[in-house]
Amino acid sequence: MPVSKSYNLDNYAAVQEFFHSHNWTDGLPVVPPTPEAVKDLLELSKISPEHLIGIEPVRSRAITAEKLAINAVMAGCLPEHFPLVCESFSAMLKEPFLLHGATASTGGCAVLVIINGPVRKQLGMNGTFNALGSSDRATTVIGRAIRLILCNLLDARPGDADRSTLGHPGKFSFCIAEDEENTNWLPLTEERDIPHGVSAVTVMAAGSPRQIMNEWTTSPEEILDTFVAEIKSCMRHYSIWPGNYAIVIPPQLRVHFEESRWSKRNIRRYVFEHARIKRKEWSDCGKTAVVGNKGEKEYTALTDENHLLVVAAGGPAGGFGAVIPPWFGTKSKAVTQPLGLCLDCGPE
Amino acid sequence: MTIEVLDPTYDGDTSSFKYAAGLENLKGATVGIISNGKKGTFHFFNALEDLLTKKYKAGEVIRVIKKNYSAPAEEEIMKEVKKWDAAIAGVGD
Repeated sequence: MPVSKSYNLDNYAAVQEFFHSHNWTDGLPVVPPTPEAVKDLLELSKISPEHLIGIEPVRSRAITAEKLAINAVMAGCLPEHFPLVCESFSAMLKEPFLLHGATASTGGCAVLVIINGPVRKQLGMNGTFNALGSSDRATTVIGRAIRLILCNLLDARPGDADRSTLGHPGKFSFCIAEDEENTNWLPLTEERDIPHGVSAVTVMAAGSPRQIMNEWTTSPEEILDTFVAEIKSCMRHYSIWPGNYAIVIPPQLRVHFEESRWSKRNIRRYVFEHARIKRKEWSDCGKTAVVGNKGEKEYTALTDENHLLVVAAGGPAGGFGAVIPPWFGTKSKAVTQPLGLCLDCGPE
Repeated sequence: MTIEVLDPTYDGDTSSFKYAAGLENLKGATVGIISNGKKGTFHFFNALEDLLTKKYKAGEVIRVIKKNYSAPAEEEIMKEVKKWDAAIAGVGD
């Protein structure tokens, strides 16, 4: 049985008020984390309560599966969702992710979780309609669990360890599944050295998505010029520093790349070469004071073309796309890792 | 019938974290400022240094700057801290 401290409350409404009054929620109601529900979550996902997910490096906090499970139940997770919560949080604890900085910064990013592999279909994830906005139960509750864990285990509540000036709505939940079925592109994780058929998560400290539209060309270059313009806009208006950008490309635009035989690699190369601005462009948007004598200096959005995460997702109609900028340059790097080994299940 | 619910917060052992003993005063003390290095903080920390030395008569004020303002202080800095009488976490924006 779980070992965490417990409380006996009168009824469902009392539970909600108790959790809200302790600042243990994200402002929405929670599923009561009863010992039975937490035990079921752990047992059915075959993870022991004391299993060490990792150590948060700044305050040396040992993060156990039981505490993740309590928050996952609160978020609405079913047992089958839980391994993804654990894997995502484990990835966030990897040094390159810089978890404390990303979650405490005034920059106000959210943790974007991208899911690839067979697990998406097994859990009913939907990388099509409304892909960036609560498209299905599994991605919604997994993303929410990540936020609750940050609040409750690392005190990343607004005004506490979370010092975000603005934040963005992705902080409620920011988890998507790549639409691997409706594309001939390689899944994101295969591009990041995860073997074919293996389920995996990618976590990224991400700003809010910026939607673009171009329904007036079939040229891959012109379509990418629209994405690049948005990235350059972000470099001018927000941060000039290079980092992991993600671009999300739905089917109506994807088809033009696929018909022209443009792979994700071609896309990454094109964006790498074109997403560049000169420092003097800051003068166009009120930042003359920081141009200094480096006006002609060129800045790239990506220091390496592999820093661009290209994700196939979105509903079938609409010439839209999205650019998801990094929290702040290369301070935090996207981390990809496969779901833990399962002896009984191989790749599909 | 009541509902039993579990505490979702961190409840690990924090007994190894203790407040350092406070100083009676700063006269002659070595005070270190671990600056996060953001440009906008420089004037503030300059003024703070003045205050510490002129008003509070600190013996020496040492300022170290982290390499990455979003990351914890580097190991070398933490070794340096042990030589100080007082340390100030200089977080500013």
